[in-house]
Amino acid sequence: MNTALLRAIIRNRTAATGLAITALVLLAVTLGAALSPYSAVDMDFLNVLAPPSLAHPFGTDSFGRDVLTRVLFGGRVSLVVSISGVVLAALVGGMAGLFSAWHGGWVDAALMRVSDLVFSFPSFVLALLLMVVFGSSVINVAAAIALVYLPIFARLTRNMALLVKHEPYVEAARLMGQPVWRILFREILPNIAAPLLVQASIGIAFAVVIEAGLSFLGLGVQPPLPSLGVIMADGREYFQRGPWVLTLTGVFISIALLGLNLLGDGIRDLTDPRLRERIGS
Amino acid sequence: MGLIRYSTVRLAGMLATVLVGCIVVFLVMKAAPGDPALSILGENAHPEAIAAFRHKYNLDAPVLIQLANWFVAALHGDLGQSLTIAGGRPITELIARRLPNTLFIGIFAILIAVAASLVIGTIAALNRGRLADTIATSMAVLGISMPDFWLSYMLVFAFALGLGWLPSYGFVSPLESLPGAFYSGLLPAAAIAAPMAAVFARTLRTALLGVAHQEYVTAARSFGFRPSFVFIHWVFRNALIPYVTVIGLQVRYILGGVVVIERIFGVPGIGSLMVDAGFARDYPVVQACTVVFLAIVLLVNFAVDLTCSALDPRRTR
Repeated sequence: MNTALLRAIIRNRTAATGLAITALVLLAVTLGAALSPYSAVDMDFLNVLAPPSLAHPFGTDSFGRDVLTRVLFGGRVSLVVSISGVVLAALVGGMAGLFSAWHGGWVDAALMRVSDLVFSFPSFVLALLLMVVFGSSVINVAAAIALVYLPIFARLTRNMALLVKHEPYVEAARLMGQPVWRILFREILPNIAAPLLVQASIGIAFAVVIEAGLSFLGLGVQPPLPSLGVIMADGREYFQRGPWVLTLTGVFISIALLGLNLLGDGIRDLTDPRLRERIGS
Repeated sequence: MGLIRYSTVRLAGMLATVLVGCIVVFLVMKAAPGDPALSILGENAHPEAIAAFRHKYNLDAPVLIQLANWFVAALHGDLGQSLTIAGGRPITELIARRLPNTLFIGIFAILIAVAASLVIGTIAALNRGRLADTIATSMAVLGISMPDFWLSYMLVFAFALGLGWLPSYGFVSPLESLPGAFYSGLLPAAAIAAPMAAVFARTLRTALLGVAHQEYVTAARSFGFRPSFVFIHWVFRNALIPYVTVIGLQVRYILGGVVVIERIFGVPGIGSLMVDAGFARDYPVVQACTVVFLAIVLLVNFAVDLTCSALDPRRTR
C-alpha cells in the first residue's frame, strides 16, 4: 500500500471509520489479549456463569473463564485463520489470474472453467465438504477458506489485468524487452491492486463468518483452542442461563466485520466510484 | 430465436458443469483419508465382514468403475445408500423427503429479503444523501456484518423466549401444513434474509442511482412524462438487471447459511442432513448433498440468466 492511498483512506469518512475499527480490533486481539489478567483456558469453578460486571465485562462462562479474554484470544485465532486463508487465495488465485490474462487462449479458458466450477459450489458447503473429508483442524479451516476464495481472486485478477493489458505503459515495457514476470508484477499488479485490496478486506470479513460457522457446528477449530466459533458454540449450550456469552461474542464479531466491510467499501468508493455494489461473498 | 439458442447453450454448459462437478466431488471423497469400512465396522472387524461390506457398497471395484457405476445409478435417480445415519436406506429417499423443507426456507428467505430490499433500496436512492439514505445504508452495512447464525439466536431470544410469538425450535413441513411452515419457518428465514436484504438493498440503491443519470432517462423526462412513470418504466426496469444478477450470485451464500440455520432451528433439510452425515462419516450422503447443492445453484443461475435476457434483449444477440 502506498502513502497516497493511505492518506486518501484517512480523508474518506467510511474508509477512515473502517480503518479505525479494524485497527482497534487488531490492537485488542494482540495487545489486549496479552494484557488481560485472566487466562483463556484456566477454569474457576467458584465464578461460574457470572453476568457481565466491571471485573468481567463479558461475564464468565460455564467453566468460570473470563469471556472477554477468551474472545480476544479466540478473535486472534479466528483472524489468523481467516487472514491466512484469504492471503493464500489471493497469492495463488492472483498468480493464476495474471497468468491467465497474459497467456490467453486455452490456458485462460481452462483456468476460468475450473474457477467457474469451484465458484458454483455454495462456499459454506464446499468448506464443510473439505472438513468432513480431510478432518477438522486449524490448518484445514484456513485451506477451506483459501479454496472458497481462489476462484474469486483468480477471476477478479484476470478481469482487471485484461483491462490494463493493452495500456501504453504495458506495451512500452513489453517493447523494451522486459521479462514477463517483471511486466506482470511491476507494471500490471500495482495498477490493479485496489480492487484486490477491497476483495481481500471484504473476503476476510466473510472468512471470519465461515470459520465461526464451521467451528459453531463443531467441524472447524476444535476446543480447547478458543476461536470465535468455538466460544459461540459453547455459549449456545447454556444460552438461556447465560445469554451474555453467545450475545457478546457475536457483538464482537459484528464490530470486527463492520470495520472490515467499511474499510472495503471506503477503498472501493475512493478508487472506483462506479463499482459500489458488492457482488458475491 | 436468439433466446432459444442462448438458453440451449447455457443449459448444455450447466449440464457439463454438473457432470464435472459430480466427478470432482466423487474423487475428493475417494481421497478422504481412512477406510469407510474400517471406520464404520471398527478397527478390529473381521476381514470377511470388511470384504462383505466393501462388496455390498461397491467399494471393491477400481475407482473409475465405481465412478461410472455411481453415475449410471445417479442418472436413474439412485444416489446410493446411506452407510451410517440411516443405514442402508436409499439416499434419494432421504433427500426427496428433506428437499422441500430446504427449498421452502430458502425461497421464503429470498422473498423476505427481496421485499425488504425493494423498499429500503428505493427509499435510499430517492433520498440520496439525506437522513433516510444514511439510515438505510448504515443498516445495510450492519446487516452484512452480523453472522446469520448469531442473529438467529438473537431472534430466538427476542421473539421466541422473550415475547413468545414464534417457536424457537422445530419445523412443520410445507407438505403437511403451509401455514404451519410459514409460522415455524419465519425465524430461520428471517435470520438468513437479513444479511441478504442488506446486500440486495445496496445493489438496488447503486443501480437506481446509476440508471437515473442515463441519457434515455433524461430524454423520457424531457418528454414531460410524470416522474413516477419515468421511474417505473425506465429507471426501475433497468436497475432490475444488476439486482436480479446479485440475487443469483447470493444463492450460493443463502444455501451456505441454510446449512447452519437448519441445524440451529432443527429444520429437517438437506443442510442438516449433510452436517449429520458429516459427523457420522456417511460419505455417500455427504457426496449426494453436495451434488444437490451444486445442482440448485446452477439451476438458479440458469433462471437468473434467462430473466436478465428477458429484461435486456441485447444479451442474447
